[in-house]
Amino acid sequence: MTLWGHRVSSQLRSGLLVLAPILIVLILLVFLPPDGNDRAKWAQFIGRFHPLAVHFPIALILLVPILELVGLNSHFSHLRLSAGFVLGLATVGAIVAAMLGWCLARSGGYSGPILTQHMWGGISLAAVCWLCWILRASASRPGLLYATALATGVLLVAWTGYRGGQLSQGDDHLTEYMPLGLRHALGLSDAGPAMSSSAANTFYGARVEPVFAARCFTCHGPHKHKANLRLDSYSSLMRGGKNGLVVRAGNVQASELFRRITLAPDHDDFMPKGGRRPLSAGQVKLIELWIAAGASGTLPTDAIKDAAAGSTSPTVVTEVTFEEIDAAAVTRQRAGFAPELARLQKRFPSILEYESRGSVDLFLNASILGPKFGDSDLAALSPLAEHITVADFSRTAITDRSATAIAAMKRLRVLRLMHTEITDPTLEGLGVLDQLESLSVFGTRVTPAALPTIARFPKLAHCYVGQTSIPAGISVPKALIGKLVF
Amino acid sequence: MANSKTPPNDLQMTLLQAQTRRHFLRRLGGGLGTLFMGTSFMGTSTAKYASAANGRSEGSALDFTRDASSPLAALPPQFAARARRVIYLHMAGAPSQLELFEHKPDLKRLDGQDCPASFLAGKRFAFISGIPKLLGSQYPFHQVGQSGQWISDRLPHLEQHIDDLCFIKSMRTDQFNHAPAQLLVHTGNARLGYASIGSWVLYGLGTENQNLPGFIVLLSGGKSPDGGKQLWSSGFLPSVYQGVQCRSHGEPVLYLDNPPGVSRPLRRSMLDAIDQINQQTYAAFGNPETVTRIAQYEMAFRMQMDATDAMDIRNEPDSVRAMYGSKPGESSFANNCLVARRLAERGVRFIQLYHWGWDSHGADAKEALNLGFADRCREVDQATAALLADLKERGLLEDTLVVWGGEFGRTPMRENRNGQEMKYIGRDHNPGAFTIWMTGGGVKPGITHGQTDEMGYEIVKDPVEIRDLHATMLYLLGFDHHKLNYSFQGLEQKLTSVKPARVVAEVLA
Repeated sequence: MTLWGHRVSSQLRSGLLVLAPILIVLILLVFLPPDGNDRAKWAQFIGRFHPLAVHFPIALILLVPILELVGLNSHFSHLRLSAGFVLGLATVGAIVAAMLGWCLARSGGYSGPILTQHMWGGISLAAVCWLCWILRASASRPGLLYATALATGVLLVAWTGYRGGQLSQGDDHLTEYMPLGLRHALGLSDAGPAMSSSAANTFYGARVEPVFAARCFTCHGPHKHKANLRLDSYSSLMRGGKNGLVVRAGNVQASELFRRITLAPDHDDFMPKGGRRPLSAGQVKLIELWIAAGASGTLPTDAIKDAAAGSTSPTVVTEVTFEEIDAAAVTRQRAGFAPELARLQKRFPSILEYESRGSVDLFLNASILGPKFGDSDLAALSPLAEHITVADFSRTAITDRSATAIAAMKRLRVLRLMHTEITDPTLEGLGVLDQLESLSVFGTRVTPAALPTIARFPKLAHCYVGQTSIPAGISVPKALIGKLVF
Repeated sequence: MANSKTPPNDLQMTLLQAQTRRHFLRRLGGGLGTLFMGTSFMGTSTAKYASAANGRSEGSALDFTRDASSPLAALPPQFAARARRVIYLHMAGAPSQLELFEHKPDLKRLDGQDCPASFLAGKRFAFISGIPKLLGSQYPFHQVGQSGQWISDRLPHLEQHIDDLCFIKSMRTDQFNHAPAQLLVHTGNARLGYASIGSWVLYGLGTENQNLPGFIVLLSGGKSPDGGKQLWSSGFLPSVYQGVQCRSHGEPVLYLDNPPGVSRPLRRSMLDAIDQINQQTYAAFGNPETVTRIAQYEMAFRMQMDATDAMDIRNEPDSVRAMYGSKPGESSFANNCLVARRLAERGVRFIQLYHWGWDSHGADAKEALNLGFADRCREVDQATAALLADLKERGLLEDTLVVWGGEFGRTPMRENRNGQEMKYIGRDHNPGAFTIWMTGGGVKPGITHGQTDEMGYEIVKDPVEIRDLHATMLYLLGFDHHKLNYSFQGLEQKLTSVKPARVVAEVLA
């Protein structure tokens, strides 16, 4: 009896000892609630360990019912012996986590309903753990009360953990990529994140707020008000945060919000923080235009002309991307004429090359050989004629006799015949070149009589006719207006 | 006896048997650690690159190997290029953007007032000390062309091409002295030993004309640029890719002609003998520099004919020479521009011009904004415009990229050396913002990219780093700047170096 009594008193003593910190946290929560202000570095430094520390009690609490249930089987009954110890550890862990959580919330600039729920969830969980522990230790056989308390604890862990996840990962961190079918089954709306409340027919409501909703609400939205700043309504945006106004109507440069989104991404003040993707150029431009136009909440959607249409595709400039070359496919495509090309490249080194490493088109620059390149050389290239898309024969010795050889290069886009003996008849024979975009007959004996022929190239954009007998002021066929360069 | 008869298989067996569990565990621990380090750190670094490099493609490296006898052989670009060659006009000394392209009426209004303290806080200047005065533009500005771009009255010829030009007014650098800033512009690095952009391009693309160097450098203005020959150095690339400095009058390359009494066949047989010896050396030591030497001898032999002709502007009609304002026999920017066009026509890949004398501090008349600066403008204006006109007329501007610019900008404050007002008007160095323009193959004509504040002092919109410019130039030439690289000292060296560079998509046509 005395032995039993002694056990009770020691249990109670240690139980009360553990209850004390829970009460301390409770008092802190009530009298010094998190209010969205950033505070002392130390508290914040310690508080940052909260997300790390919470995993410890979570795992331990979930472990307890497993030990208890598995222990019901006589083979594993020894497991139940450790359940009490694990519960004790879980209680201590939950208290430590709650304290760290308070440090983080109080000093890290958090506030909002989710935080409040998470906070009370956490402290309740510590209390429930403590209760379980006491119940288990005081009763010789854990009864229904203990089982209920333990179940409550497990549910609290799940709920508090989910709220914590929402705080750090965003409101919809679990449901964002939920398949549509499941979404419907659970009765969730199709649109993931909560959208703007403002009128859709205003520039602010239709164009600006969706940007905030997509990029800023996680920290400055309905559930989390970092730096006491909320961007989820026009009035709260214009009210600003703990450092004052963030938008100054009509003055883009003085608007803190604009400054922060346009800093270098590695700057301390840059927003969005924490390595999140910066706003796109289009989104920044939109906000700039809106502030410059007076930052009005009632301005109609179409009032700002320069704003690129469609908030869903806000990027004005497409970034350059590089595609990987599929070497095997390129080799396959080239297989038909590669041996022929290799042979001719030996004869004409460095002047006959693929347009690029991934291309089957050929570039020919015979101008390098100058007068050493004549009609017979051009004829030798005939096996490759249809692969050549750019050909430069400037200063070579080719004559009108090459007309058919050039015409055989049916896919030519660029043809340069500067300072050659080419005359009008050659151009007449080139009518089949329906891909030709650029033709240079600079310094040749081409005459105005060739203009109707030149006008027939359907894709021609430029024809260079300087130093020919075509005078600059000549009246040209309609199809050539603006295309002749003298 | 047993030992001597142990066959290799047994030895291996013995070794394996000697491996205890302890060995295994130790190896395992190290191995797992290596695996972890490999995946986690490799992962982070590539992820960082991938996000920073706007859509860079992972995958195999490009092959730039060539036959040892023709290291300059043309290679196709990585993907279809917009420009096939580059003419880079570098205004050494850094011309004042505020006297040429940056129209800042507010600065003009505040001319002569004390510079606000915020301009000076935390800044380093080459010469400004104390509190300098603000200095408005020394020349009137007007809008020209359909694009309505502002330009001062110093470049009346160039302004006729304004609708072809693409201005980047938000260039910035982190170097405020000439030599390192020029090195940064031309090699992507402010320190010595890196490959110049011309060398990179030559390495990547080779050159079509094997009778001329693929990378030619022409100087004018009476002095070499402060960065010296390092500006066209091939750095760690094989030295066959370095720029060849040519003279624009007399012999284009010194000692290119045969000495008196040596005929061309004699020269040939001499080279053949030297080649043989060099080949033996290469076979023995395998040093690529030996191949470079052989190739250079051969090129010099071929150049004896072609280079002299290419550089000889006396072959141009009087009307063309008049258009450039060039006078044969002089060493002038005008002559160099005309030579540049002739080289472009002949398939030279990279033509680099330097014109010295833009360092307008105001320390003497030659570098005063109201005196020497105006002379510099006159020296380059007509010739630059003529070069553009000439390229355009021949259709060459379609696939030639022309770049014009200095190594940094100049301050909106008047220079006050030693805190005193100086006799002549000048501006100090401003690495924070400067203007360049580009035109030709693949460049969007008639636009301005980027913007500086009302004083032209700092960039307020779309800053462009030197490495961004390089990435953009290489893109126009058909390269992903990550892929044009060369293994050296354990790093895949590249022109844009290790910081993330962005192709300035806004300036692409």
